[in-house]
Amino acid sequence: MALAVIGLSHRTAPVEVRERFVFNDSEAAAGLLQLTGSGGIREAVLLSTCNRTELYLVGDRSGGENGGSGNGSAATNRAWAAVEDPMFQAAERMLAERAGMPVSEAASHMYRIRRLEAARHLFRVVTSLDSMVVGEAQIQGQVRRAYESAAALGGDRRVVGPVLSRLFESALRVGGRVRSETALGVGAASVPGAAIELAKKIFGTLRGRRALVLGAGEMSALAAECLAAEGVENIVVANRTEQRAHELAGRAGAAAAPYSALPELLAKTDIVATATSAPHAVITRDLVQRALPGGANRPLLIVDIALPRDVEPSVGELENVFLYDIDDLNQIVDANLEKRRAAIDPAERIITDEATAFWNWYTSREVVPVIRALRDRAESVRQMELEKTLKQFEGLTPEQREAIDVLTRQLLNKVLHPPTVRLREAVNNGRGVAIVDAARYLFDLDPPPDEGGK
Amino acid sequence: MVGLLHGGALVLYSIAGLALVGALASGRRRASWFPLATVSAATVLHGIGLVAFVLTFRELPLAWLAPSFSTLAFLIGGYLLAITAVHEGPPLGLVLVPIVVVLLVSALVLGISPAGDPLSFRGVWGSLHVLLSFTGCAGLAVAFASGLLYLLQFRELKEKRFGRVFRFFPSLQTLDRLGRHALGVGFAALTLGLLLGWAGTVQVQEPLEGMRSEVAWGVFTWAMFVVALTARARGGGARNRRGAIASVIGFVLVVLAYVVLRVFVAQGPSFL
Repeated sequence: MALAVIGLSHRTAPVEVRERFVFNDSEAAAGLLQLTGSGGIREAVLLSTCNRTELYLVGDRSGGENGGSGNGSAATNRAWAAVEDPMFQAAERMLAERAGMPVSEAASHMYRIRRLEAARHLFRVVTSLDSMVVGEAQIQGQVRRAYESAAALGGDRRVVGPVLSRLFESALRVGGRVRSETALGVGAASVPGAAIELAKKIFGTLRGRRALVLGAGEMSALAAECLAAEGVENIVVANRTEQRAHELAGRAGAAAAPYSALPELLAKTDIVATATSAPHAVITRDLVQRALPGGANRPLLIVDIALPRDVEPSVGELENVFLYDIDDLNQIVDANLEKRRAAIDPAERIITDEATAFWNWYTSREVVPVIRALRDRAESVRQMELEKTLKQFEGLTPEQREAIDVLTRQLLNKVLHPPTVRLREAVNNGRGVAIVDAARYLFDLDPPPDEGGK
Repeated sequence: MVGLLHGGALVLYSIAGLALVGALASGRRRASWFPLATVSAATVLHGIGLVAFVLTFRELPLAWLAPSFSTLAFLIGGYLLAITAVHEGPPLGLVLVPIVVVLLVSALVLGISPAGDPLSFRGVWGSLHVLLSFTGCAGLAVAFASGLLYLLQFRELKEKRFGRVFRFFPSLQTLDRLGRHALGVGFAALTLGLLLGWAGTVQVQEPLEGMRSEVAWGVFTWAMFVVALTARARGGGARNRRGAIASVIGFVLVVLAYVVLRVFVAQGPSFL
């Protein structure tokens, strides 16, 4: 069995190329069924996100090489390549067809990763180490959906078998381990995200909170979008030009209000996000005090992401008012990114451990058939030679014949014991595939195709 | 056996506390099941220890110093378990676990067994009076923990310090809610407990002379609840923060009052 990944990501292709390779659910299903029905590819999972399109493939290795040609690691690599190359070619054709571009052009954006590195790659993807923003949380859900969608396909001809099933289950577990054991996903990595993080530290959940967005520019739109995504149901947009306030409110599913209603709006809101282009302070201490006579009965969070600032700094001194400007938010982002960077090495160590564990399991699937083939071959040689020998000594008593049979069997067992033990050990020390290939080559073993997968 | 079970519970509470301190210090996330599992195990073991006390001595662990400490620690542990199961709740263990540990260590040092005469009160109502009063005290301890963390988190947010405390402590809203609930439950329990105690003394026409210190402490604790609840209700814009301050000061004063009464006024092996 051969394990490989082929695909493209933000590292190898610009967005105008990546967007041509995006698959919806039905296209992904059709592509996977086509690939696994074409022979050579036993299992396949397609991961398609805005930043990557990747095919995880398992091919029938024992059917594609005889394990006995050439020598050493070069021979091993050639043997693997004999299975992997046709898989890659089939996958390239399928992906190029989806993108509507020549295979050679599509292939120029793609990477091909094999065996242990393929497993490690998936583990890096699922933990977001390969993401555009390291530590982002969405990728784990995307990998889970890709796996579950593929696993649900195929009816009696399934596209996910034991290898990819084990690989993806391991990957999702690795994702969970890295998130719980390291600080890789800690905090927000963007200014709007930091504002949300702050809001959650004050209000807990934002569901049901009321928010006021001042300004109708790009940052205001982003703020309204983030607040809505966090479940803030009552968002009001106020802008000096009412027309633009209405436009943004319409886009964000919010309400628009005139600028003159600012004091009343402040009195009713929990969160204020302000990003106007006003050259002076829009929210003054006096305005807040007038809006909240006797002080705020509940916390009021004001996030000022405008430059120059929209809010007088002294507003933050008022009881129950929490005021943050762009520098404060950047401080949070920087601290989070620093924490994430520090978490990369521990995350890589977890990935290496888990990838090795997966690979040991994977190679152990190859060792058992090889040991069986080795013993079968030796036994058939022994039987043949024993028969020839006994024919030459027809006068032997049954006891003497039995003694010779036992002798040869014991000799065989003693000779085969060390290689059997070494093969089993090789699985656990990471040299499984090389040793298995060496055994195949040295003893001229060629297990039947079906045995490789059992 | 009783001591052994209490010792086991003490170890588990300590492990939960150390894990929380470790998480705060390192800034590393821990699996959310770990504090819940250790606190659950500690509370269960502690509960078995109290049941073993009842079976061994044929007495409820509601009188005498050491058994009372253990029961009070168990009730705080129960609160802690309930809070740990709440999202964002585990950090309260940073305050509550040390309180439980101090109470348990004191109980173990004194020896968890009846010391001297049998209980001065008898019957279901008497036991309920003590249990409810202890539940009230445990509620005040939880309000203290919530209030303390609220004030620290409030300071971090106001002073724009986004370090470990900011990240590890729950949101102000969560801390305020936990503190409010603890005060409400504690006040109701203590009020009922005091009423039952008063009714009991009236019914049996028991003179209060021998119980002056515990009556004084009970009424003082109740007054602290009233102050904290009033601060919450009438604090204006700063009601949450004033409520937190009142909870913290109230608990500290209640503990100090207990120590003073225990050292200078109370005599004998009873709780007060």
